Amino acid sequence: MKSLKKQIKTEVKKMRRNSTSQPLNLLTSEVPASQPRNLSTSVFDISSPYISRLAKIERVARLTEKERLYKIAIDDRKTLGHSPGQFIMLSIPGYGEAPISVSSPPDKRNTFEICVRAVGNLTNALHNLTKGDKLWIRGPYGKSFDVEELKGKDLLFIAGGIGLVPMRSLIKTVLSERPFYGKIHLLYGVKSPEEILFKDELTEWGHHGMGIQITIDKPHPEWKGHTGVVTTLLPPLKIDETKTVAIVVGPPVMYKYVIMSLGDKRIGGHDIFLSLERRMKCGLGKCGHCQINSIYVCQEGPVFRLSEIRYLREAI
Amino acid sequence: MEYRFLPKKGIAPFVTGLLKDFKVYGPVEKDGFPMYGEITSPKDIHLSHAPTHLSPKQFLFPPKETILRFKNGAKPALEPVIEAHNQALFGIHSCDIHAIKLLDRVFSYGPPDVNYLKKRKKTVIIGIDCVPDKHCFCNSVNTMTVDSGFDLFLHDVGKDFIVEIGTKKGEELLRKYVKTKKATVSAIKKITEFKNKKAEMFVTKLNAEASALPLIYSGSYNSPVWEKISKICYGCGSCNLVCPTCYCFDVRDEVKPNLNEGERYRVWDGCMLEDFAKVAGGHNFRKTRAERLRHRFNRKFQYQADKFGGLFCVGCGRCIRTCLVNINIAEVTNEIIEEANKDRS
Repeated sequence: MKSLKKQIKTEVKKMRRNSTSQPLNLLTSEVPASQPRNLSTSVFDISSPYISRLAKIERVARLTEKERLYKIAIDDRKTLGHSPGQFIMLSIPGYGEAPISVSSPPDKRNTFEICVRAVGNLTNALHNLTKGDKLWIRGPYGKSFDVEELKGKDLLFIAGGIGLVPMRSLIKTVLSERPFYGKIHLLYGVKSPEEILFKDELTEWGHHGMGIQITIDKPHPEWKGHTGVVTTLLPPLKIDETKTVAIVVGPPVMYKYVIMSLGDKRIGGHDIFLSLERRMKCGLGKCGHCQINSIYVCQEGPVFRLSEIRYLREAI
Repeated sequence: MEYRFLPKKGIAPFVTGLLKDFKVYGPVEKDGFPMYGEITSPKDIHLSHAPTHLSPKQFLFPPKETILRFKNGAKPALEPVIEAHNQALFGIHSCDIHAIKLLDRVFSYGPPDVNYLKKRKKTVIIGIDCVPDKHCFCNSVNTMTVDSGFDLFLHDVGKDFIVEIGTKKGEELLRKYVKTKKATVSAIKKITEFKNKKAEMFVTKLNAEASALPLIYSGSYNSPVWEKISKICYGCGSCNLVCPTCYCFDVRDEVKPNLNEGERYRVWDGCMLEDFAKVAGGHNFRKTRAERLRHRFNRKFQYQADKFGGLFCVGCGRCIRTCLVNINIAEVTNEIIEEANKDRS
């Protein structure tokens, strides 16, 4: 017992030593040298948190008219090291930087996926890039879903529109270790059939023991499935409220109604997890754009347990 | 705490000394108004008791600050830019010293903000006593006096200054540039006398204890006051600019004419501006001006206080002086206090 503690202590020490003695990134080596020695009283050499890692687009897939899926490989060959629900700050110098959810499950290799809708300056620029083009990333940032806590539970995923994008990271993680979980359901609401994301994968997830129901907002000539907002899928669903955890990601208007419908199913704030979208400029808990009352979403979120923010005004 | 006598004519040699080792910023006069600016000779200094329109936060957190330089093309590169030089902030009032102490906490919370912290580390702060004008209300938010956060503090006691030594570095600088004598007990007493006199001078006051304000503000969410002031507010963000504890920023890129190189910089942003909380998809999380006003006021009295433990309004009165439509943070707060008192009774 003692020796194990000792071992951990020395490991932690080693990690600390490594993390402070090395410059954070490829291009920063000249920075610490140029820092005047006599004025700094700090022992640690702190480097700029805005430094990013160079990465390359390995594959682009057009998912819908507006969304594309990018597979990105980091140049330093190291893993992104993210957990499901986290985001990165992606930048194309000259066009700016924006928070983007990671859409792939954790990967030991240096690759990851993002799915991006072209809506802003940066995302439009990204849509003009192709295989082999370079971009910069920093992160991962934010709090992730607690996968360990979900084990043994029935999972009810409720996604609206591109809410499926960050959710996909968790879904794929969960399905890769399917036996650890109970029943798994996905309720997915989109505006129209053309906007359904990951069509092929949805079928595949179905084969992995996930019940999937899709609904579109308004009737469409080519759509034979369910019509109506995503909450209309909930009442007929058989749920064991004693072991169900709901994961909800969607546009801001969706949360309030989904939470009410889940309440009807006797699923309360402790068993509901959600990911909140906010404007972010730094990802470091400073720039103020993502602030909800005294909470910085980039630091304390974007994933929250509903009971943590139930009474936080302006959150939902 | 050590106190030293510094004759008023000793200020010139002291500043001359500072100029050898530091870039010095201090109170100057521009267009008849007191402001903080660069000082190149002791003559530039206009010591005035009056509050400045802009706070000295600009020297630690510049309005526009480059954080990265980049190069696109075949060999893309990104390098961090952290600019910091030895600087002395001379003649800083106690409210602003309190504000800097708050910014120190903000920028070291979570991932440290190196751009700020490096500047801060190279900054010497020399405070000075001041006299409140009709908008100052530091006495109501416990920032009328300050006992740390400065290297030296000048107390005006007639023909001399009594220099309060805050740090070892401050002590060394004082010894290096000028000869001072140990202050007498009777002279030190004068500091307290001045403080007591100052405390009586405030016209603007908050009608509740500073420590009660976060709780009082937590009940203000549905107050009619937000709708009321939103009807006259222009949403111009001037209050954000002049506030010594407003630190929100935007990050933008700028490309050089060769389209290959450029800079990423941060600029002051303001939560009163319409797009502040708007995401790329179009949803605005604080759509109305009333919501934005409520956010800003609560940020000063409740939200940041919950997080960092101190009020983020230091009572400098700058937003009151600057507001084009005379929205008065003290009056608004007093209205909220009154509502809270009514609710209780």
